[in-house]
Amino acid sequence: MADAALTSLLAEDSIRLDAVASDRFDAVRQCGAALVAAGAVDESYVDAMIQRENTVSTFVGEGVAIPHGTLAGKESVKRDALVVLRFPDGVDWDGNAVSVCVGIAAAGGGHIALLSQLAEILLDPDKAEQLRNATSAEQVYTLLTPDEDDD
Amino acid sequence: MTTIDGSSIKKLIVACDAGMGSSVMLAGQLKKQLKKSGVVVEHSPVAHIPQDADVVVTQAGLADRAQGVVPDVPVVPFQLFLGDPKVAKIVKAIQDGTTVEV
Repeated sequence: MADAALTSLLAEDSIRLDAVASDRFDAVRQCGAALVAAGAVDESYVDAMIQRENTVSTFVGEGVAIPHGTLAGKESVKRDALVVLRFPDGVDWDGNAVSVCVGIAAAGGGHIALLSQLAEILLDPDKAEQLRNATSAEQVYTLLTPDEDDD
Repeated sequence: MTTIDGSSIKKLIVACDAGMGSSVMLAGQLKKQLKKSGVVVEHSPVAHIPQDADVVVTQAGLADRAQGVVPDVPVVPFQLFLGDPKVAKIVKAIQDGTTVEV
C-alpha cells in the first residue's frame, strides 16, 4: 500500500496516542467520535458501535480491540476509514487488558489490506508490543505498511 | 462436533456481524494460508453468508445465527481471533486433504 493510500484511510489526525478511557464503552465512543471527526460516519454510527460491542466483543488479542458498527450501522458510513487510539494506561475489556483500539468504518473494501497487515502484527508478539508502545504516528504508519517482500 | 472433509472444501466463509472488521482480518490470514490449495476464502456478514459455502467459521456468539442462514453447511465457532486451534485444524485438513472433527 502506498503512503497516500494509507493516509487517506488513516489520517494522521486520526492517530491519538495518549487517550484515556474510563471503561471499554468510553473507549468505543472515543473511537466513534474520532471517526465522526474524520468525516467517515454520521453520529448514529457510534451507537451501532456500542451495540456491536454489547453483542460480541471486538477484542482480538495482544491488547488490541477493533471497535466497529453493525450491518445496520453501515448506512451511517460515508467512506472507508480507520482511527487508531492508544490508551497507555490500558482499558479493561471484559477481563482483557486493551491498550490499542483500531476503530473501523467500512462501506466498501478499501480497508482490507490494512486489516490484513494488522493481523500480521497481532501474530508477531514483537510487532504487537511495538504497536502498544508506539509514541509517534510515524511508528504506527511503519507498522501498518505491508512488507515489500510479503507474498 | 462437526466433521469436516478437507478435500471437499472449495469455499470457506469467515462470517461476522457486519462483515467489516473481525471477519476481514481473519479472512486475510486464511487466504494467505490457503493460497496454494486454491480454496476461495471470503468474508461476509452473517446475514449474507452465500448458500454455496462449504464451511463457515465464525465467532462463538454468532454461530447460531450463522447456522440459521445456512442450515446444511457446517458452521465452526471459534473463540480466539488469531491462532484458534479449531481454525488451525480446518486449515490443516484442507491443506492435507484429510478429515477432522472440530
